[in-house]
Amino acid sequence: MSKKVLVVDDDPDVRLFSVTVLEENGYTPLEAEDGEVGLKKIKEEKPDLVILDVLMPRQSGVRLYRELKTSKALKDVKVIILSGIAKKTFLRFQKALTEFGGSEIPEPEIYLEKPVEPDELAGVIKKALG
Amino acid sequence: MEIKKLLFVTKFEELGFDALRSLLNLRNSALEHVVFVNVIERDRVAMRRGKGYQKDEEVRLREAANIRFIDWAENLFEKGMEVGCYIVVGGLVPEVIKATQKEDADLIVIGRSTKGVLEHLYSGSDVTELLRRAWTPVLVYKHLSETAISVEEPFERPILAIDWSPGSLRAVEYLKGLKDTLQEVHLVHVADEKDLKSSSAMAIQKTRKEARNKLEEIRESFEAAGIKAREHVYIGDPDEEIEKAAKDCQATMIVLGSSAKAAWVEKFLGSTPRKISEESIYPTLLIPPEKGEE
Repeated sequence: MSKKVLVVDDDPDVRLFSVTVLEENGYTPLEAEDGEVGLKKIKEEKPDLVILDVLMPRQSGVRLYRELKTSKALKDVKVIILSGIAKKTFLRFQKALTEFGGSEIPEPEIYLEKPVEPDELAGVIKKALG
Repeated sequence: MEIKKLLFVTKFEELGFDALRSLLNLRNSALEHVVFVNVIERDRVAMRRGKGYQKDEEVRLREAANIRFIDWAENLFEKGMEVGCYIVVGGLVPEVIKATQKEDADLIVIGRSTKGVLEHLYSGSDVTELLRRAWTPVLVYKHLSETAISVEEPFERPILAIDWSPGSLRAVEYLKGLKDTLQEVHLVHVADEKDLKSSSAMAIQKTRKEARNKLEEIRESFEAAGIKAREHVYIGDPDEEIEKAAKDCQATMIVLGSSAKAAWVEKFLGSTPRKISEESIYPTLLIPPEKGEE
Protein backbone atom coordinates (compact mmCIF):
# COMPACT_ATOMS: atom_id res chain seq x y z
CA MET A 1 0.00 0.00 0.00
CA SER A 2 1.33 3.45 -0.89
CA LYS A 3 2.33 5.83 1.89
CA LYS A 4 -0.05 8.60 2.92
CA VAL A 5 1.18 12.20 2.87
CA LEU A 6 -0.90 15.08 4.23
CA VAL A 7 -0.44 18.56 2.71
CA VAL A 8 -1.50 21.35 5.12
CA ASP A 9 -1.57 24.70 3.30
CA ASP A 10 -4.19 27.44 2.91
CA ASP A 11 -3.10 28.23 -0.65
CA PRO A 12 -5.01 25.97 -3.08
CA ASP A 13 -2.34 26.43 -5.76
CA VAL A 14 0.37 25.13 -3.42
CA ARG A 15 -1.83 22.19 -2.40
CA LEU A 16 -2.44 21.35 -6.05
CA PHE A 17 1.30 21.54 -6.77
CA SER A 18 2.22 19.27 -3.83
CA VAL A 19 -0.60 16.80 -4.53
CA THR A 20 0.54 16.50 -8.17
CA VAL A 21 4.14 15.83 -7.10
CA LEU A 22 2.91 13.20 -4.61
CA GLU A 23 0.65 11.42 -7.11
CA GLU A 24 3.35 11.35 -9.75
CA ASN A 25 5.69 9.68 -7.26
CA GLY A 26 3.23 7.00 -6.15
CA TYR A 27 2.09 8.39 -2.79
CA THR A 28 -1.48 8.85 -1.54
CA PRO A 29 -2.06 12.57 -0.98
CA LEU A 30 -4.41 14.06 1.60
CA GLU A 31 -5.24 17.77 1.96
CA ALA A 32 -6.09 20.26 4.73
CA GLU A 33 -6.55 24.04 4.41
CA ASP A 34 -5.43 25.10 7.91
CA GLY A 35 -3.83 23.85 11.09
CA GLU A 36 -7.08 22.91 12.81
CA VAL A 37 -8.33 20.77 9.93
CA GLY A 38 -4.78 19.42 9.57
CA LEU A 39 -4.63 18.19 13.16
CA LYS A 40 -8.03 16.52 12.81
CA LYS A 41 -6.89 14.71 9.65
CA ILE A 42 -3.62 13.62 11.25
CA LYS A 43 -5.57 12.01 14.10
CA GLU A 44 -8.06 10.35 11.75
CA GLU A 45 -5.81 9.30 8.87
CA LYS A 46 -2.46 8.73 10.61
CA PRO A 47 -0.36 9.88 7.60
CA ASP A 48 3.27 8.78 7.22
CA LEU A 49 4.39 12.33 6.46
CA VAL A 50 3.01 15.88 6.79
CA ILE A 51 4.02 18.74 4.48
CA LEU A 52 3.23 21.80 6.56
CA ASP A 53 2.90 25.52 5.80
CA VAL A 54 3.53 28.04 8.62
CA LEU A 55 1.35 31.11 7.95
CA MET A 56 -2.28 29.94 7.79
CA PRO A 57 -5.71 30.93 9.08
CA ARG A 58 -7.15 29.58 12.37
CA GLN A 59 -4.07 27.68 13.57
CA SER A 60 -0.58 28.31 12.25
CA GLY A 61 1.92 25.63 11.33
CA VAL A 62 4.05 26.64 14.33
CA ARG A 63 1.30 25.58 16.73
CA LEU A 64 0.42 22.46 14.80
CA TYR A 65 4.08 21.38 14.72
CA ARG A 66 4.32 21.95 18.48
CA GLU A 67 1.14 19.95 19.10
CA LEU A 68 2.50 17.07 17.06
CA LYS A 69 5.89 17.02 18.72
CA THR A 70 4.48 17.22 22.25
CA SER A 71 1.87 14.50 21.69
CA LYS A 72 2.90 10.97 22.71
CA ALA A 73 0.73 9.46 19.99
CA LEU A 74 1.80 11.81 17.17
CA LYS A 75 5.38 12.85 17.91
CA ASP A 76 6.83 10.29 15.46
CA VAL A 77 4.88 11.62 12.46
CA LYS A 78 7.51 13.00 10.08
CA VAL A 79 7.18 16.66 9.07
CA ILE A 80 8.51 18.74 6.19
CA ILE A 81 7.96 22.46 6.64
CA LEU A 82 7.27 24.22 3.33
CA SER A 83 6.80 27.95 3.89
CA GLY A 84 7.59 31.51 2.88
CA ILE A 85 8.53 32.18 6.52
CA ALA A 86 12.28 31.95 7.12
CA LYS A 87 13.58 28.96 9.09
CA LYS A 88 15.32 31.20 11.64
CA THR A 89 11.96 32.91 12.41
CA PHE A 90 10.25 29.55 12.88
CA LEU A 91 12.98 28.42 15.26
CA ARG A 92 12.95 31.71 17.20
CA PHE A 93 9.18 31.45 17.71
CA GLN A 94 9.54 27.86 18.92
CA LYS A 95 12.26 29.06 21.31
CA ALA A 96 9.98 31.87 22.58
CA LEU A 97 7.17 29.37 23.19
CA THR A 98 9.58 27.13 25.10
CA GLU A 99 10.69 30.11 27.20
CA PHE A 100 7.03 30.91 27.99
CA GLY A 101 6.76 27.53 29.67
CA GLY A 102 6.34 25.13 26.75
CA SER A 103 8.26 21.89 26.36
CA GLU A 104 11.52 21.71 24.42
CA ILE A 105 10.80 20.28 20.97
CA PRO A 106 13.07 19.05 18.17
CA GLU A 107 13.76 21.06 15.02
CA PRO A 108 11.85 19.92 11.93
CA GLU A 109 13.63 17.20 9.94
CA ILE A 110 13.40 19.22 6.73
CA TYR A 111 12.66 22.93 6.25
CA LEU A 112 12.10 24.26 2.73
CA GLU A 113 11.47 27.88 1.83
CA LYS A 114 8.91 28.46 -0.94
CA PRO A 115 9.03 28.20 -3.87
CA VAL A 116 10.44 24.73 -4.53
CA GLU A 117 10.94 22.80 -7.75
CA PRO A 118 8.99 19.52 -8.21
CA ASP A 119 12.20 17.45 -8.26
CA GLU A 120 13.46 19.05 -5.06
CA LEU A 121 10.17 18.34 -3.27
CA ALA A 122 10.02 14.77 -4.56
CA GLY A 123 13.61 14.26 -3.39
CA VAL A 124 13.01 15.44 0.18
CA ILE A 125 9.79 13.41 0.47
CA LYS A 126 11.69 10.30 -0.56
CA LYS A 127 14.47 11.13 1.91
CA ALA A 128 12.00 11.79 4.77
CA LEU A 129 10.14 8.52 4.21
CA GLY A 130 13.39 6.58 4.00
CA MET B 1 -14.08 40.49 27.99
CA GLU B 2 -10.56 40.31 26.60
CA ILE B 3 -8.85 41.03 23.29
CA LYS B 4 -6.98 37.79 22.58
CA LYS B 5 -7.25 37.78 18.84
CA LEU B 6 -7.48 40.75 16.47
CA LEU B 7 -8.22 40.86 12.78
CA PHE B 8 -6.09 43.45 10.97
CA VAL B 9 -7.85 44.36 7.73
CA THR B 10 -5.64 46.27 5.31
CA LYS B 11 -5.43 47.44 1.73
CA PHE B 12 -1.84 48.51 2.58
CA GLU B 13 -2.15 52.13 1.42
CA GLU B 14 -4.10 53.17 4.54
CA LEU B 15 -2.85 50.77 7.22
CA GLY B 16 0.70 49.57 7.50
CA PHE B 17 2.78 47.71 10.05
CA ASP B 18 3.34 50.91 12.05
CA ALA B 19 -0.40 50.96 12.81
CA LEU B 20 -0.30 47.37 13.97
CA ARG B 21 2.81 48.04 16.03
CA SER B 22 0.95 50.82 17.90
CA LEU B 23 -1.61 48.21 19.02
CA LEU B 24 0.88 45.69 20.33
CA ASN B 25 0.69 47.08 23.87
CA LEU B 26 -2.55 45.04 23.99
CA ARG B 27 -0.19 42.14 24.64
CA ASN B 28 0.12 43.51 28.21
CA SER B 29 -3.53 42.48 28.56
CA ALA B 30 -4.32 39.34 26.59
CA LEU B 31 -3.46 39.78 22.90
CA GLU B 32 -1.70 36.71 21.54
CA HIS B 33 -2.93 36.23 17.99
CA VAL B 34 -3.06 38.60 14.98
CA VAL B 35 -4.81 37.65 11.75
CA PHE B 36 -4.06 39.68 8.61
CA VAL B 37 -6.84 40.13 6.09
CA ASN B 38 -6.42 41.53 2.59
CA VAL B 39 -9.49 41.57 0.39
CA ILE B 40 -8.84 42.00 -3.33
CA GLU B 41 -12.07 43.63 -4.43
CA ARG B 42 -13.67 41.92 -7.39
CA ASP B 43 -13.66 44.97 -9.64
CA ARG B 44 -9.84 44.93 -9.61
CA VAL B 45 -9.67 41.53 -11.27
CA ALA B 46 -13.01 40.97 -12.97
CA MET B 47 -15.67 42.64 -15.04
CA ARG B 48 -13.20 44.48 -17.28
CA ARG B 49 -14.78 44.94 -20.68
CA GLY B 50 -13.27 42.60 -23.25
CA LYS B 51 -10.90 40.98 -20.76
CA GLY B 52 -13.10 38.79 -18.54
CA TYR B 53 -11.52 37.53 -15.33
CA GLN B 54 -7.88 38.57 -15.00
CA LYS B 55 -6.26 35.59 -13.30
CA ASP B 56 -2.75 37.03 -13.84
CA GLU B 57 -3.72 40.24 -12.05
CA GLU B 58 -5.21 38.24 -9.17
CA VAL B 59 -1.98 36.23 -8.81
CA ARG B 60 0.07 39.45 -8.89
CA LEU B 61 -2.06 41.12 -6.20
CA ARG B 62 -2.10 37.97 -4.04
CA GLU B 63 1.66 37.61 -4.17
CA ALA B 64 2.22 41.33 -3.43
CA ALA B 65 0.01 40.96 -0.33
CA ASN B 66 1.65 37.67 0.62
CA ILE B 67 5.16 39.16 0.52
CA ARG B 68 4.13 41.98 2.87
CA PHE B 69 2.30 39.66 5.24
CA ILE B 70 5.27 37.27 5.43
CA ASP B 71 7.49 40.17 6.46
CA TRP B 72 5.00 41.35 9.10
CA ALA B 73 4.37 37.80 10.30
CA GLU B 74 8.09 37.13 10.77
CA ASN B 75 8.23 40.22 12.97
CA LEU B 76 5.34 39.01 15.13
CA PHE B 77 6.40 35.35 15.24
CA GLU B 78 9.76 36.48 16.58
CA LYS B 79 7.93 38.31 19.38
CA GLY B 80 6.27 35.00 20.30
CA MET B 81 2.87 35.85 18.81
CA GLU B 82 0.56 33.61 16.82
CA VAL B 83 -0.17 34.90 13.30
CA GLY B 84 -2.63 33.95 10.57
CA CYS B 85 -3.58 35.42 7.23
CA TYR B 86 -6.33 35.60 4.62
CA ILE B 87 -5.84 36.92 1.09
CA VAL B 88 -9.15 36.60 -0.70
CA VAL B 89 -11.02 37.93 -3.71
CA GLY B 90 -14.53 39.22 -2.93
CA GLY B 91 -16.50 42.00 -1.26
CA LEU B 92 -14.76 43.69 1.68
CA VAL B 93 -17.52 43.42 4.27
CA PRO B 94 -18.70 39.83 3.56
CA GLU B 95 -15.11 38.55 3.50
CA VAL B 96 -14.20 40.33 6.76
CA ILE B 97 -17.30 38.93 8.42
CA LYS B 98 -16.49 35.43 7.19
CA ALA B 99 -12.95 35.69 8.57
CA THR B 100 -14.21 37.16 11.88
CA GLN B 101 -16.58 34.24 12.35
CA LYS B 102 -14.04 31.60 11.35
CA GLU B 103 -11.43 33.06 13.67
CA ASP B 104 -13.82 34.06 16.48
CA ALA B 105 -11.91 37.37 16.68
CA ASP B 106 -12.38 39.84 19.56
CA LEU B 107 -11.57 43.00 17.58
CA ILE B 108 -11.58 44.08 13.94
CA VAL B 109 -9.10 46.82 12.98
CA ILE B 110 -9.85 48.62 9.72
CA GLY B 111 -8.79 51.87 8.03
CA ARG B 112 -11.10 54.77 7.41
CA SER B 113 -13.65 54.11 4.66
CA THR B 114 -12.51 55.36 1.28
CA LYS B 115 -15.90 55.26 -0.41
CA GLY B 116 -17.13 58.40 -2.15
CA VAL B 117 -20.24 60.39 -1.19
CA LEU B 118 -22.43 58.71 -3.82
CA GLU B 119 -21.27 55.22 -2.88
CA HIS B 120 -22.07 56.02 0.75
CA LEU B 121 -25.54 57.17 -0.16
CA TYR B 122 -26.33 53.99 -2.05
CA SER B 123 -24.46 51.35 -0.10
CA GLY B 124 -23.66 52.88 3.30
CA SER B 125 -20.20 52.84 4.86
CA ASP B 126 -18.13 49.69 5.24
CA VAL B 127 -17.82 50.33 8.98
CA THR B 128 -21.57 50.75 9.51
CA GLU B 129 -22.25 47.60 7.53
CA LEU B 130 -19.58 45.70 9.45
CA LEU B 131 -21.05 46.70 12.79
CA ARG B 132 -24.53 45.77 11.71
CA ARG B 133 -23.47 42.32 10.59
CA ALA B 134 -20.46 41.27 12.67
CA TRP B 135 -21.39 41.99 16.33
CA THR B 136 -17.67 42.35 17.00
CA PRO B 137 -16.03 45.62 18.15
CA VAL B 138 -14.46 47.58 15.29
CA LEU B 139 -11.49 49.93 15.61
CA VAL B 140 -11.43 52.47 12.79
CA TYR B 141 -7.73 53.26 12.80
CA LYS B 142 -6.41 56.74 12.00
CA HIS B 143 -2.89 58.05 12.34
CA LEU B 144 -2.89 60.84 14.91
CA SER B 145 0.23 62.29 13.40
CA GLU B 146 1.49 61.55 9.92
CA THR B 147 4.89 63.01 10.71
CA ALA B 148 5.58 61.80 14.26
CA ILE B 149 8.48 59.39 14.55
CA SER B 150 7.00 57.64 17.57
CA VAL B 151 3.52 56.33 16.97
CA GLU B 152 0.78 57.08 19.51
CA GLU B 153 -0.72 54.00 21.09
CA PRO B 154 -4.53 54.29 20.75
CA PHE B 155 -5.28 52.22 23.85
CA GLU B 156 -3.16 54.43 26.11
CA ARG B 157 -5.63 57.24 26.96
CA PRO B 158 -9.06 56.61 25.43
CA ILE B 159 -12.14 58.68 26.07
CA LEU B 160 -15.29 56.65 26.45
CA ALA B 161 -18.45 58.46 25.37
CA ILE B 162 -21.33 57.14 27.43
CA ASP B 163 -24.99 57.57 26.51
CA TRP B 164 -26.22 54.67 28.70
CA SER B 165 -27.06 52.59 25.60
CA PRO B 166 -26.38 48.81 25.75
CA GLY B 167 -23.40 49.33 23.43
CA SER B 168 -21.80 52.00 25.61
CA LEU B 169 -22.34 49.92 28.76
CA ARG B 170 -20.74 46.95 27.00
CA ALA B 171 -17.84 49.28 26.15
CA VAL B 172 -17.32 49.87 29.89
CA GLU B 173 -16.85 46.13 30.44
CA TYR B 174 -14.68 45.82 27.31
CA LEU B 175 -12.26 48.50 28.55
CA LYS B 176 -12.13 47.00 32.03
CA GLY B 177 -10.59 43.91 30.44
CA LEU B 178 -7.63 46.08 29.34
CA LYS B 179 -6.33 47.05 32.79
CA ASP B 180 -2.71 46.32 31.92
CA THR B 181 -2.81 48.34 28.70
CA LEU B 182 -4.71 51.52 29.59
CA GLN B 183 -3.02 54.39 31.41
CA GLU B 184 -6.19 56.35 32.07
CA VAL B 185 -9.78 56.45 30.80
CA HIS B 186 -11.81 59.64 30.43
CA LEU B 187 -15.55 59.08 30.79
CA VAL B 188 -17.64 61.62 28.89
CA HIS B 189 -21.37 62.13 28.72
CA VAL B 190 -22.77 64.72 26.32
CA ALA B 191 -26.16 66.07 27.32
CA ASP B 192 -27.87 67.02 24.08
CA GLU B 193 -29.25 70.57 24.16
CA LYS B 194 -32.52 69.24 22.70
CA ASP B 195 -32.95 67.05 25.77
CA LEU B 196 -32.67 69.87 28.30
CA LYS B 197 -36.15 70.26 29.74
CA SER B 198 -35.74 73.95 30.49
CA SER B 199 -33.30 76.64 29.53
CA SER B 200 -32.95 77.88 33.11
CA ALA B 201 -29.49 77.72 34.67
CA MET B 202 -30.86 75.62 37.52
CA ALA B 203 -32.30 72.97 35.16
CA ILE B 204 -29.09 72.77 33.16
CA GLN B 205 -27.04 72.39 36.35
CA LYS B 206 -29.44 69.70 37.52
CA THR B 207 -28.99 67.75 34.27
CA ARG B 208 -25.22 68.07 34.62
CA LYS B 209 -25.31 66.88 38.24
CA GLU B 210 -27.46 63.85 37.42
CA ALA B 211 -25.17 62.82 34.57
CA ARG B 212 -22.09 63.36 36.71
CA ASN B 213 -23.47 61.18 39.51
CA LYS B 214 -24.11 58.36 37.06
CA LEU B 215 -20.62 58.77 35.58
CA GLU B 216 -19.12 58.68 39.08
CA GLU B 217 -20.54 55.20 39.57
CA ILE B 218 -18.85 54.07 36.40
CA ARG B 219 -15.58 55.77 37.40
CA GLU B 220 -15.69 53.94 40.73
CA SER B 221 -16.20 50.64 38.93
CA PHE B 222 -13.12 51.36 36.77
CA GLU B 223 -11.08 52.23 39.84
CA ALA B 224 -12.25 49.04 41.56
CA ALA B 225 -10.86 47.22 38.51
CA GLY B 226 -7.51 49.00 39.00
CA ILE B 227 -7.92 51.52 36.16
CA LYS B 228 -7.47 55.28 36.64
CA ALA B 229 -10.54 57.15 35.33
CA ARG B 230 -11.99 60.68 35.27
CA GLU B 231 -15.49 61.82 34.45
CA HIS B 232 -16.61 64.84 32.38
CA VAL B 233 -20.00 66.22 31.35
CA TYR B 234 -20.38 68.29 28.16
CA ILE B 235 -23.50 69.94 26.78
CA GLY B 236 -24.23 70.43 23.09
CA ASP B 237 -24.15 68.51 19.83
CA PRO B 238 -22.72 65.03 20.63
CA ASP B 239 -20.67 64.78 17.40
CA GLU B 240 -18.88 68.07 18.09
CA GLU B 241 -18.62 67.79 21.87
CA ILE B 242 -17.08 64.30 21.82
CA GLU B 243 -14.37 65.58 19.47
CA LYS B 244 -13.79 68.61 21.77
CA ALA B 245 -13.61 66.35 24.81
CA ALA B 246 -11.03 64.16 23.08
CA LYS B 247 -8.89 67.24 22.43
CA ASP B 248 -9.33 68.57 25.99
CA CYS B 249 -8.30 65.22 27.46
CA GLN B 250 -5.42 64.72 25.00
CA ALA B 251 -7.03 61.41 24.21
CA THR B 252 -5.46 58.80 21.98
CA MET B 253 -8.77 57.24 20.89
CA ILE B 254 -12.55 57.70 21.09
CA VAL B 255 -14.62 54.74 22.28
CA LEU B 256 -18.35 54.64 21.55
CA GLY B 257 -21.17 52.17 21.89
CA SER B 258 -22.96 51.63 18.60
CA SER B 259 -26.54 50.68 17.91
CA ALA B 260 -27.98 48.41 15.29
CA LYS B 261 -30.09 51.04 13.54
CA ALA B 262 -31.79 50.04 10.32
CA ALA B 263 -29.68 50.73 7.26
CA TRP B 264 -32.01 53.37 5.82
CA VAL B 265 -32.10 55.33 9.09
CA GLU B 266 -28.28 55.49 9.10
CA LYS B 267 -28.12 56.50 5.46
CA PHE B 268 -30.51 59.40 5.66
CA LEU B 269 -30.28 60.59 9.26
CA GLY B 270 -26.76 59.60 10.14
CA SER B 271 -25.56 58.61 13.60
CA THR B 272 -22.93 59.78 16.05
CA PRO B 273 -20.82 56.56 15.86
CA ARG B 274 -20.84 56.65 12.09
CA LYS B 275 -20.00 60.37 11.88
CA ILE B 276 -17.20 60.13 14.42
CA SER B 277 -15.73 57.00 12.89
CA GLU B 278 -15.62 58.68 9.50
CA GLU B 279 -14.92 62.31 10.32
CA SER B 280 -13.03 62.47 13.61
CA ILE B 281 -9.26 62.77 13.56
CA TYR B 282 -9.06 60.19 16.37
CA PRO B 283 -8.97 56.41 16.05
CA THR B 284 -12.49 55.28 16.91
CA LEU B 285 -13.42 52.08 18.67
CA LEU B 286 -17.07 51.12 18.14
CA ILE B 287 -18.60 48.56 20.46
CA PRO B 288 -21.90 46.99 19.38
CA PRO B 289 -24.38 45.73 21.95
CA GLU B 290 -24.56 42.00 22.70
CA LYS B 291 -26.66 40.14 20.15
CA GLY B 292 -30.31 40.45 21.14
CA GLU B 293 -29.68 43.56 23.31
CA GLU B 294 -30.05 46.14 20.53
